Amino acid sequence: MANSATTSRLSQTMANLLTATRPGQTVWKRLKKNSGFLFVAPAVLIFLVFGLYTIIYSFVLSFFRWKGSSIFSLFPPVCEAPGCAFWGLQNYKDFLYEDKGVAKLFWMAMENNLVVALVVPAATVLISLLIAIALNRAGRAVPLFRTIMMLPMVTSGIAVYFAWSSIYLSDGPLNAMLNAAGLGFLSAPHGWLGTANLALPALMVVMIWSSVPLAVILYMAGLQTIDQELYEAATIDGANSWHMLWYITWPLLRPVTFIILIFAINNAFQGFDLPLLMTKGGPANHTQVVGLRIFSFGFGDDLQLGIASAMGWVLFLLVFVLSLINLRLFRPATEETRE
Amino acid sequence: MTRDPLSLSIDGLKLGQKFWALISFLCLLAYLVISIYPFLWMISSALKDNREVLTNTSLIPKEIHWEILVDVWNRLDFWQYFLNSLMISVPIVIGTVIIYSLAGYGFSVTKFWGKEFLYVFFMGLIVVPTIVVLVPLVQELRAFGLIGRDASKFATYVGLIIPAINGGGPWAIFLFRSYFDSLPRDLRDAARIDGCTEWGVYARIYLPLAIPAIATVGITNFISSWNAYVFPSVVINNPDWYTLPLQLRFLDMQTVVQWNVRMAGSLITVLPVIIAFIFLQRYYIRGLTAAAVK
Repeated sequence: MANSATTSRLSQTMANLLTATRPGQTVWKRLKKNSGFLFVAPAVLIFLVFGLYTIIYSFVLSFFRWKGSSIFSLFPPVCEAPGCAFWGLQNYKDFLYEDKGVAKLFWMAMENNLVVALVVPAATVLISLLIAIALNRAGRAVPLFRTIMMLPMVTSGIAVYFAWSSIYLSDGPLNAMLNAAGLGFLSAPHGWLGTANLALPALMVVMIWSSVPLAVILYMAGLQTIDQELYEAATIDGANSWHMLWYITWPLLRPVTFIILIFAINNAFQGFDLPLLMTKGGPANHTQVVGLRIFSFGFGDDLQLGIASAMGWVLFLLVFVLSLINLRLFRPATEETRE
Repeated sequence: MTRDPLSLSIDGLKLGQKFWALISFLCLLAYLVISIYPFLWMISSALKDNREVLTNTSLIPKEIHWEILVDVWNRLDFWQYFLNSLMISVPIVIGTVIIYSLAGYGFSVTKFWGKEFLYVFFMGLIVVPTIVVLVPLVQELRAFGLIGRDASKFATYVGLIIPAINGGGPWAIFLFRSYFDSLPRDLRDAARIDGCTEWGVYARIYLPLAIPAIATVGITNFISSWNAYVFPSVVINNPDWYTLPLQLRFLDMQTVVQWNVRMAGSLITVLPVIIAFIFLQRYYIRGLTAAAVK
């Protein structure tokens, strides 16, 4: 019996081989079945060369000590002796706890970063949701209003940082307005970006300012998909505005919130160009963020490419975990509501 | 249909509802002011002399100094750096749209082994911070001879453009795929039965229908590449090849910061994007909407 099973399996294999070798049949068919891959191929190719390679390189480099002057390469694996050395986990240990100076700055940056990652996404979601609802209620948004509203999104970058920096000056319009409104005690006599405890909040305002418009557009799109009958039914059942917001609008907007949070969390950890251009991490490291530290080790004064890479991976891990939490909180509900 | 007495028509508003309508109107107004204020401040400062920027916080200048804008325009050498910026941004936009509309079509319509996994993988890339790969990217570009002392302007720009295309990839794939998903699948099936190739369906049916998605992806990448500062500042080492934002940074290298000069330069830099955006925003919103509410 065992014998016959073997024979049948053998004949099966033979048959497979025969069909496979017949030209223009199975192999061709299989290729043709998967020809859709050709559409994706350019994207995959460009990712393999400029994405995957750099990711692997960065991971390997995080275990080496290297300043970029001697030779370090992956293919072929070379680490030329005096300038480059295998360092194991030492890079990670250094900035996490062993090298006191580096570690202290790193944790300071991490703390600031976590504050940013908590406040900016939350504020963005809250503000943009309220504005989207208000706009939606006002009927069609006046085109002029919509255009003005989107201005901050269009012009991120150095130009707007200049504008905000001057608004925050000690003689700038923000202080002047506070004084004029009789709120002089709230003003920052040394400039908002020059005062230790105000610099980070001031930067966060700019971050929120530039991330709200996109979120408003997305929320408005989401609001238009909600069936108005739900609200009418709720009104008849005696629900007030808060009930409707909490039990109808918010749950149905979850998929949109998910996308907005993905953006906001990413920006919170990646957006170091803002502190780089506006405060350089100061005053006294009060606006130091992890991205800025990495930049300093990668291209700036501290030049230690291994440490820069190792920090990058810790940052990646953090963003990854936060994104998973976001996925847990906001994504599964979509599937349920859809079914 | 009988009129529901509780419906939210304006004339039927109760006192409480009127109150909330007023509050929401005031909030919108406040938000509008906050949105536009930095731009108004930018314009007004560009027209003041430097002493007045620091003393007069009103938006209306005491005396309008057009000559600062003219002077900055010349010192910024606007056309040269404008062209440099365009030479980087335009290929990024075209490359991103072509490569990722193809990929979006592949992920949305066609079937191949490992498609779902590959898509999830690309989406996962959204969470990889750019700063993580910046160091190896520069090393790689150097190894390819795209940056360094001997690299030509063309090589340097290629080194800027291709990684930027790759960086915009995941989001562009997401937008295109979502948009193609929203098109009726019968379109493709009918065309295939009539003997149209897969490529033909993409090029002749799907792509022309995807104008909003193209606009959204194009504008997003145009804005980010136009405003990019960190990556270009690391890659470009010849001042003649600077983009507008980089040149703006080096506009005033004096001991006393000249805010009016900075503002004039900022205004000149952001104006092209604002003008382009005003014309294209309708499509931009449509493409984004399709992706958000898929």
